[in-house]
Amino acid sequence: MRVFKILIVFILVSSFAYAQWEFFEHRYKYELSDVLKADRFVKKDGYWEGYSGDRLVGYVFLSKDWTKDLVGYSGKHMETLIGMDTQGRLTGVKVIYHSEPIVLIGLKEDNYKRFIKQYPGKSILTPLRVGREVSMDAITGATVTAVVQNAIITGSARKVATKVGLLETEEVVKRRISQQYMRLNWAELIQTGAIGVLKVEYKDLGLEGKGDYIEVYFGLLDPPTVGRNILGNKRYSELRGRLKQGESALFVVARGEGSFKGSGYARGGVFDRFNIEQGERVFVFRDRDYRILTEVKASGAPDIKEGGVFVIRGEEFDPTRPFKFNLILPYRVGAKKLFKSFTVEYRLPESLLE
Amino acid sequence: MSEKKSTDKKGLKRRDFLKIAGAVGVAAGTGVILPKEKIFARSSKAKPGHLSNEVKPGELDDYYGFWSGGHSGEVRIIGVPSMREIKRIPVFNMDVATGWGITNESKKLLRGRYTGDTHHVHGSYKNGTYDGRYLFVNDKLNNRVARIRIDYMEVDAIVDIPNAQGIHGLFPQRYPKTEWVVANSEFQVPIPNDETNVTAFNNPQEYYGLHTIIDAERMSIVCQVLVDENMDLAATDYKGKYSMATSYNSEKGVTISEMLASDYDYLLIFHWGRIKEALKKGNYKWISGVKVIDGRKGHSDIVLRIPVPKNPHGVNVSPDGKYAICSGKVSPTCTVVDLDLVDLAFEGKIKPEECIVAQPEIGLGPLHTTFDGRGNAYTSVFIDSTNVKWNIQKAIEAEKKGPEEKKKKEYIVDVLDIHYQVGHIMASMAETKEADGKWLVSLNKFSKDRFINAGPYKIENDQLVDISGEKLRLVHDSPAYAEPHDCIIVRRDIIEPHVKDRVEMFEHPLAVVESSVERKGNHVIIRMTSTAPVYGLQEVRLKKGDKVTLIVTNHDEISDLSHGVAISNYNINFVIAPFQTKSVTFTADKAGVFWVYCTNFCHALHLEMRMRLIVEP
Repeated sequence: MRVFKILIVFILVSSFAYAQWEFFEHRYKYELSDVLKADRFVKKDGYWEGYSGDRLVGYVFLSKDWTKDLVGYSGKHMETLIGMDTQGRLTGVKVIYHSEPIVLIGLKEDNYKRFIKQYPGKSILTPLRVGREVSMDAITGATVTAVVQNAIITGSARKVATKVGLLETEEVVKRRISQQYMRLNWAELIQTGAIGVLKVEYKDLGLEGKGDYIEVYFGLLDPPTVGRNILGNKRYSELRGRLKQGESALFVVARGEGSFKGSGYARGGVFDRFNIEQGERVFVFRDRDYRILTEVKASGAPDIKEGGVFVIRGEEFDPTRPFKFNLILPYRVGAKKLFKSFTVEYRLPESLLE
Repeated sequence: MSEKKSTDKKGLKRRDFLKIAGAVGVAAGTGVILPKEKIFARSSKAKPGHLSNEVKPGELDDYYGFWSGGHSGEVRIIGVPSMREIKRIPVFNMDVATGWGITNESKKLLRGRYTGDTHHVHGSYKNGTYDGRYLFVNDKLNNRVARIRIDYMEVDAIVDIPNAQGIHGLFPQRYPKTEWVVANSEFQVPIPNDETNVTAFNNPQEYYGLHTIIDAERMSIVCQVLVDENMDLAATDYKGKYSMATSYNSEKGVTISEMLASDYDYLLIFHWGRIKEALKKGNYKWISGVKVIDGRKGHSDIVLRIPVPKNPHGVNVSPDGKYAICSGKVSPTCTVVDLDLVDLAFEGKIKPEECIVAQPEIGLGPLHTTFDGRGNAYTSVFIDSTNVKWNIQKAIEAEKKGPEEKKKKEYIVDVLDIHYQVGHIMASMAETKEADGKWLVSLNKFSKDRFINAGPYKIENDQLVDISGEKLRLVHDSPAYAEPHDCIIVRRDIIEPHVKDRVEMFEHPLAVVESSVERKGNHVIIRMTSTAPVYGLQEVRLKKGDKVTLIVTNHDEISDLSHGVAISNYNINFVIAPFQTKSVTFTADKAGVFWVYCTNFCHALHLEMRMRLIVEP
């Protein structure tokens, strides 16, 4: 096996403004062959094809061409060079630039590299989730970095896979959300599937305790039948006024000892315990996308311990299509911090679509 | 493909709707538990008279309380019902924590005056309720009115009130929206009050009061109405027709006994239509740069004078807009004025005193009255040290039936002892048409033994009272440092949508995008960004004697990530919220190395966030 010599290059920024950032900035030199064994590379639109002789052996691409808007704790994108074979298996991953301040939680650059090392060999055609297929062990504590880095790798790879035909694109006929309103209570909203439910019991985590460690309820607020029942008329119309063209909004509320909000967003601005996934796209939420929700208006709704309304930015998300809600739950067994992730699928009930 | 479901456009039937359920929400992967049947009933629906003030960790208060700060010169945000102090907004004072009074931006508004006396804080209105845009607050000490923008919860304008002294009562227009704000002068003075009018100094008969009208949007003076009387509290009606003022010194006295001489003083009512007409016709004089309209008795028909027993204090308008209630202070009564009759009195069809429909006896020293929206009034009674709940209609009926009926005092619903000596009293949403009768705050002037003894100078006691039931129920004591006078209690859903987490960066014309140092002769302009945990500059070299302007912009977008900028030994500190810019100007009059450091905790490397000013001799 070839051992790569890694050069750390501190970038010199001419502007005064970022002079001090050099301590946090890590930029590495790279070659395309770092992530895919190939004789030659042919530049395509947003990626390279790698050839061994005349045989196409895979693809190499830079994350910033595909998932530039995914930013980590530092507020910046972690630029990643990714190699993938023609079967959708990752052949190599190399972070070429990041400014994640993992040193602040007692980690080293080596921890970051060890986290990255687990990707080669994994297929992106099936789910790759932090806390499940992807272990956090190497950078325990740096959940924001791990979650975003994972979204960068899988998101970029799936987009390329779709482009080159490894992943089938669903033929999507753009549907519309019904603007009809029907008053529904909490139980009915759950029964229709308009509210997704994710419950984790103590025993699921191997913890002592009875019943649910956390109950999470979530749903898309776009249809008036969900939005108005959950938020009440005033907040719903305020929300509608705030949403830009193509944006959607998700509510998430929880009960129990566990927390879906955590505290990472307080410092880093990123919600590191949950995200949603639609097709190849992962949506991670930041504090600017969030407004606190302390009460669910629907009759029969339980008192909640925490909640929020989250705007799904951009126009890529299609609220009429299904998505996955991922919860990454840190918990402690003794002094050891562990993670487990949970997924639940969600789709707006047919009756709320036109 | 686009399979169009044939849904009934006229509306789905509930049954059909629920039938479709079940197909979704299928769990993927392990560890997923499908919904259980257990649905939790909401437990927060308390019975009337049994409200809980407990706001558990992670929960939020139902109301924004905006408190004046008295001679602290500030405004405070109190969460109701928890009564936790959420924030202080510096207004007429210097606040070394945030740099108010230190930065160039705040100095421009304060113009060298760092004392103030805030009594009344009120919100801007639309159609009789708060619109969540602004707060207005008076300064009785230096005669100013400030505006706080609710999106940032910071002062954005301060207007000086010329000619007037003791700017006390303040109230915004309630209908159709706040275009005007009125402010009363409590102290009569010569007008103008300067060297051009020395002969008036020794002649109190030539002292006057002023009812000042301020343009709420421009924060400039529209006009002042001159009267003989002094004016205490202020109110506006719910129709956009009148503003009001109580007067306790119609005698023009300059000593206490002179001020108490007459058995009657007045509720003054100002006719806005006639004020506008006077402005249009040019019936005013320019004094100290503002238009002054003569509102004296016998000189104009702008002011209606309703006689009210001896030295009244507060005037409050009921949420239905029907009645203005003056609290008697020296008289044990409240005077109920029917505002519909005021129209007739202005037209000369009835006498001013005929506007009074009831004068119930409330207790010794009634000061202010508030409302629950269910027809009841709550009056603070200073000498008795009580809050008195009374029914307005019953008081009016008793008045009609005669003195014997009045004596029975059946209009009194309940009396609550408070601790001790209440000044203002305010119920939730009570100064709007949306009064909800949930909570009442009794702002008591003495705390005496209600808190652990903290020395001879003792704080106030704001008591929280549940008024949702028939009886008043004391729920909570909270200490208040000098010295809130009045407050408003506003539903959270009105304010919350307007409040921002970050500043619009380029609202400030000097917002720094890139750090730089520029020298113009001996004036050095330092432009600096700040991004946790670093300032955009590591060092700046100065010459002793340089005039220095330091402009700093916070580039952190994350909410709550504010930075401090303190200059060691230079007596400078200020705080910048996300995307905010502030600046200071000072003379580098000491040679040496001076660390500039972040005072507002920002980051795990907050302590390392510092840079040097090197001042060479």
